[in-house]
Amino acid sequence: MIQMFHVTKAYPGDPPALVDVNLSVEKGEFVFLTGPSGAGKTTLLRLVFCAEPATRGQILVGGRNVARIRQGSIPFLRRNMGVVFQDFKLLPHRTVLDNVALSLDVLGVPRAEARQRANRMLKLVGLQHKTESLPLKLSGGEQQRVVIARALVNEPALLLADEPTGNLDPELSQEIMSLLQDANVRGTTVVVATHDLPMVERSGKRVVRLDRGRIVSDAGGPTVVRRVG
Amino acid sequence: MSAVAKAQTFWRSAMEGIRHQPFVHAVSTITLAIALFTLGLARSAAHELDRLVGSLGGEVRVTVYLDPRVPPAARTAVADGLRRRGMAVEEVSPHAALERLVRELGPAAESLRGLSEDPLPPSLEVRVPESMRAPASLRALAAELRGIAAVTGVDYGEQAVERLSAIARAVRWAGWVAFVVLVGATLIIVSATLQLAIYARREEVEIQKLVGATDRFVQAPFLLEGALQGIAGAALAIAGLIAFRQTVSPQLSTLLSFLRLPGAGADASPWMEALELALAGAGLGLAGSYLAVHRFLRA
Repeated sequence: MIQMFHVTKAYPGDPPALVDVNLSVEKGEFVFLTGPSGAGKTTLLRLVFCAEPATRGQILVGGRNVARIRQGSIPFLRRNMGVVFQDFKLLPHRTVLDNVALSLDVLGVPRAEARQRANRMLKLVGLQHKTESLPLKLSGGEQQRVVIARALVNEPALLLADEPTGNLDPELSQEIMSLLQDANVRGTTVVVATHDLPMVERSGKRVVRLDRGRIVSDAGGPTVVRRVG
Repeated sequence: MSAVAKAQTFWRSAMEGIRHQPFVHAVSTITLAIALFTLGLARSAAHELDRLVGSLGGEVRVTVYLDPRVPPAARTAVADGLRRRGMAVEEVSPHAALERLVRELGPAAESLRGLSEDPLPPSLEVRVPESMRAPASLRALAAELRGIAAVTGVDYGEQAVERLSAIARAVRWAGWVAFVVLVGATLIIVSATLQLAIYARREEVEIQKLVGATDRFVQAPFLLEGALQGIAGAALAIAGLIAFRQTVSPQLSTLLSFLRLPGAGADASPWMEALELALAGAGLGLAGSYLAVHRFLRA
């Protein structure tokens, strides 16, 4: 699903955020990216969803080389990915249902069908009773569940989550992790960047550890591909 | 994929944008209204100026002086030839010409009393049809008449016609320059104002792009907002023009009764004018919002 070959990302005037990273994530895998702040976790995810280009190296996502992708093709690549952020990124003036349906609106799915599918997804994340609420009326955990519903409503092949439990208490964090694992069980490849080590250790999933832009360990999980760059 | 579903999404998004930022949209709409009102007024003024120039052109008479020695039948043949080409021709005998001169000179005409015979030649006074009043056409007609043996001279106020034509040309050019400046300034103001609206919704744009929205998907609601603002601006401009024509225009016409002022007798259909202004407004709004959103997405 994701292959990175000798990927380096550098910003002018700063030490490189990623240095010669080689990584392979198989279809259907669940991978944690961990490491201290500034290790390069977020940068790695940003490169995968084409928020910015790599300075050097090649990145394949679903078989497509994102280093060579045309600007106009990026939206179509993203439609096959769900993205979850620590700061939620919800539209404050739109209802929970509209926020979730946004991913389907972009695809041109008729409104009635989009709302039906969004409703179904909200039920799956346990928010069926909050469909007409505005995001700011929800708790942090509920907002994050809305974001996960939005990320999964169009059944993406890949889900990227950047610190999805960063602002949540342990109980809510566990709920969110359960949702991500459920998505993984349904066939979605999931990559989660987090510094919540106890949760990572409990999960028994593959853990890729980054430090100062380099992969320093890659262990655990049932899948086979291992590369340390 | 459904175009209708997308159109509904764009419409909802545009309405939401207008509802959440009424002030910014009001500023854009009023800017467009002022520009369209000015354009409407300028258009009426240009129309009236054309009519004024046309009516002055109607006063241009070609005087054809004839040789007094040629028989009257030959003079009549020249007049008939012109009449056949659609011109109104009045034959003026030497006696009638002298009487007219005496009338025009008034007391100074005493000096003419001692003349034993009519000193003025017979002439034809010709009113040319509108299609031939252009300076080039008049010049060609004069040259043709001068080539006839019975004709000794042709006078049509050549300098006045040329000057009038030059003034009309200059006014038209000035109008075009003013039009371009006005449209350019409006586009700059509207796109700068709309950029504020887009900037306020940058988070929404960012989220849309995260979930796979194309640039066109992001642009469409803003373009729709721009077009709607243009149409609303046109509606205000039309109301302003109607009010202007009903209140200010008659007073100006009374003050400057020798001129026909904008709206004093506009021939254009008001519905057609309203449609043109609405289309111009929608076009300006679209162009302004396109510039704003394009600049934002490229930034």
